[in-house]
Amino acid sequence: MGEFWGVLERYFPEFVSGFFVTLRLVGISFAIAMSVGVVIAAFRVTPAKWVQRIGGTYVEIFRNIPLLVLLFILFYGLPSEVQFSRVTAGALGLGLYTAAYVGEAVRSGVFAVGQGQIDASLSLGFSYRDTLRRVVLPQAVRTVIPPLGSLFIAMTKNSAVIGGALQVQDLMMKARGISADTFQTNEAFFWAAVGYLLITVSLTFVVRNLETRLAIRR
Amino acid sequence: MAGATTNGHLVELESVTKRFGDNVVLDGVDLTIDRGQAVVVAGPSGSGKSTMLRCINGLETIDEGDVRFDGTSVASAGKGIYALRAEMGMVFQQFNLFPHKTVLQNITLGPMQVKGLSEEDAKARATKLLERVGIPEKAKSFPADLSGGQQQRVAIARALAMEPKLMLFDEPTSALDPEMIREVLDVMRDLAREGMTMIVVTHEMGFAREVCDRIVFIDDGKIVEDAPPNEFFTQTKSDRAKEFVDKIIHH
Ligand SMILES: Nc1ncnc2c1ncn2[C@@H]1O[C@H](COP(=O)(O)OP(=O)(O)OP(=O)(O)O)[C@@H](O)[C@H]1O
Ligand SMILES: [Mg+2]
Repeated sequence: MGEFWGVLERYFPEFVSGFFVTLRLVGISFAIAMSVGVVIAAFRVTPAKWVQRIGGTYVEIFRNIPLLVLLFILFYGLPSEVQFSRVTAGALGLGLYTAAYVGEAVRSGVFAVGQGQIDASLSLGFSYRDTLRRVVLPQAVRTVIPPLGSLFIAMTKNSAVIGGALQVQDLMMKARGISADTFQTNEAFFWAAVGYLLITVSLTFVVRNLETRLAIRR
Repeated sequence: MAGATTNGHLVELESVTKRFGDNVVLDGVDLTIDRGQAVVVAGPSGSGKSTMLRCINGLETIDEGDVRFDGTSVASAGKGIYALRAEMGMVFQQFNLFPHKTVLQNITLGPMQVKGLSEEDAKARATKLLERVGIPEKAKSFPADLSGGQQQRVAIARALAMEPKLMLFDEPTSALDPEMIREVLDVMRDLAREGMTMIVVTHEMGFAREVCDRIVFIDDGKIVEDAPPNEFFTQTKSDRAKEFVDKIIHH
């Protein structure tokens, strides 16, 4: 046991800085995944066929290429005029990738909202777009909070790919570095695991809380 | 001034045909409804009653003919359909209140977002309407906490909050327990007495007899009877309507 505490003590600032880089990656990815995902879902349920197709193409592309490949493209593969920083490229990749799944989850939530709700909204004089925005999406998002929670937990874990791929000093990379320095591999990755758990367990709590607070009584 | 038709017709259906695939649901329907009239629409299940209402406010598109509301074609309104719908209230069998909003928010949403009313004005209007439908104390409740009859009265208030020229009711009491039917019909009767133009799909023939100016009977997508209640019940012309009246009277 002493070894575990010893490593944590000696490398505490390193762990903390890695933790916050991971937190930043996850935070930015979350914002991107959520906003792009909702837009994609909106595209996919719009009556206009060609708009639907844009949404469908997005989902197909981003669900079907490995995250690692996407990260490489975003950092190494783009023309030099659009060079992102490592962290930006990493968060963008993870966010766009997760957005495809968010889009599908929200879309299924949209279909769970009954036609009667749409009829009621349209009959008040709302356009299709406002109906989506004010009536359908708020209800859809509530029903998809649990699946979204799982998605963002998966996303947090996926973020561990970014460090190695793009040389970002996140929790995972820090743990690797410490393990190479000390040969205390178990100890280093144990504390990395604790860091990831801290984020995912908090996420679980937030999801539960949102679920009870926003639950629609039927 | 499209609205300034000299005749009193608020709603005009002119040989309206509506198909779902090969299924002809409305088959050359002609119908005119004057301002201030309350018209009951009856007919067997699947005869096209709901579809006819939905064609009037453009929730369904039509295949042939024309639907005019206040002198404006609904069928060719394009984006103007939203403004037209804002002038027609609709009440559904399943209430269709917004479950994520309170009763008050259900009623203020349309006036604020569609008509641009201030929150204060919209709330004042909603409060008055809740009093009118007899449940002012439910303003802060959620729909799920209301009885069916209360939900339907909120749905009526929500539609009225847009100050519509026409109210469409699609079997507003069919999903209600018997003891709650009265409270909803009473609200509708008062509305009719105040001069609201309304089209009511219902099997409540007591209501029809007491409140409405005309009964329109639809069978298989065609209007087979269109008469004042007295005449409808005593001098029924078509066989299907006769059958229907007999059933009701011997019920
Ligand atoms: N969206 C739709 N797609 C395909 N067919 C439909 C659709 N809506 C209605 N129909 C069909 O149109 C016909 C008329 O339906 P409608 O709902 O207008 O009847 P109704 O007179 O209101 O019946 P009810 O008394 O059962 O409510 C039925 O045969 C129905 O199956
Ligand atoms: Mg019907």
